[in-house]
Amino acid sequence: MKAIIEGLLFLKGSDGLTLLELCSILDKKEEEVSQALKELYSDYQKEDRGIQLELLGGHFKLTTKQEHKEYYKKITLEEQNANLSQSALETLAIIAYNEPITRMEIDEIRGVNSSYVIRRLLIKNLIQEVGRSDLPGRPKQYGVTNAFLDYFGLGGIDELPKMEEKEPDSQEEDLFASRYQEKND
Amino acid sequence: MEYKVSLPSYDGPLDLLLHLIKQSNINICDISIVEITRQYLDYIEKMEEMNLDIASEYLVMAAELVEIKSRVLLPRQEEEEEEEDPREQLIQRLLEYQNYKESTKSLKKLEHLRKEVYTKEPSDLLDFQDSNTPMDYGVTLEDLLEAFQKFLDSKEFQKPLNTKITHQEYSIGKRCTEIRDIIRAKKQVSFQDLFEEVTKEYVVVTFLAILNMSKRQEISIEQSRNFDNIVIKEKSDKI
Repeated sequence: MKAIIEGLLFLKGSDGLTLLELCSILDKKEEEVSQALKELYSDYQKEDRGIQLELLGGHFKLTTKQEHKEYYKKITLEEQNANLSQSALETLAIIAYNEPITRMEIDEIRGVNSSYVIRRLLIKNLIQEVGRSDLPGRPKQYGVTNAFLDYFGLGGIDELPKMEEKEPDSQEEDLFASRYQEKND
Repeated sequence: MEYKVSLPSYDGPLDLLLHLIKQSNINICDISIVEITRQYLDYIEKMEEMNLDIASEYLVMAAELVEIKSRVLLPRQEEEEEEEDPREQLIQRLLEYQNYKESTKSLKKLEHLRKEVYTKEPSDLLDFQDSNTPMDYGVTLEDLLEAFQKFLDSKEFQKPLNTKITHQEYSIGKRCTEIRDIIRAKKQVSFQDLFEEVTKEYVVVTFLAILNMSKRQEISIEQSRNFDNIVIKEKSDKI
């Protein structure tokens, strides 16, 4: 089964496959597939292997190894240096830690209008509309995508690094936020 | 207090405030509203001097700062004794914003790390599907064309018979040519006969066409007696 998974993941490349997808393709139970994935993972950890198994955005994918990056850089034509801007990162962080969240709420935290950044992030498919809030006007709510998780090398949203020093009393902060909004209306 | 004016590095008023606070080496919770307001307004002024457009958000924050400052400075009345520190809201906001700003550092690290591993594009599996489906059934290009033509024909039949309600547009120029043709063929025509249709547009356009042609001396309009038929003829000298 390991070999089949390896082949499947090779074909799927950057799309990868979820655990459930693997189960249905292989017609096997989750535990069996997970076990095979674990074995495959440790096989790849050996020094004589050039690829590794990673969970990125809920999908298992085969990637190259970090320690060989110097060699890959030589064959990539363009530098992948288009890093996200500070404002994009900031907005992403706010969305990731608070999803679902409306643009107004994002603006509130950042203190600036975020329409442009949000549009850019939507185009890059790092965030998506996930629904509408019950607030007046039923504004759109945004959340992060699997592509976002992949972009930061995360398996799932729970792997997001913990926010340092969260406010001591978040209740009061909520109260403030709602009151502030009323004032703004 | 000296500061460098390097504007692009600020992502909004909160970012600027955090920067000013950091510069003065004080804890966010201990900020002096009077001092920070002065610095903030100084900065806004500098921006103005440099002829930079100040985003409205900066001005909103300036107004908020001045408001907080005024509340701090005004002597408190007794009923208001229990009111919370006017700086509280601003401090909370700054702390919250700072938290997110901090978290972008770890995101940046992750972004960088992720860029160091590569994945390959998913394979195009369509190629494999095709090899399993036999293509040669002895079908020629003509067969295909014929089939396509049949399909188009059947499409034609499927069309509802009357699909559009058209609104015919009349143009004076077009009507002129028509009248010219009639006169050329019949030599003369009675005025009434030119009004074959009785829709408002048709009548108006025809009448205008006749007026136009007569103005250009293309036709002569004759009437032998009052209330007699008006006859339209080609101007003889035009030929």
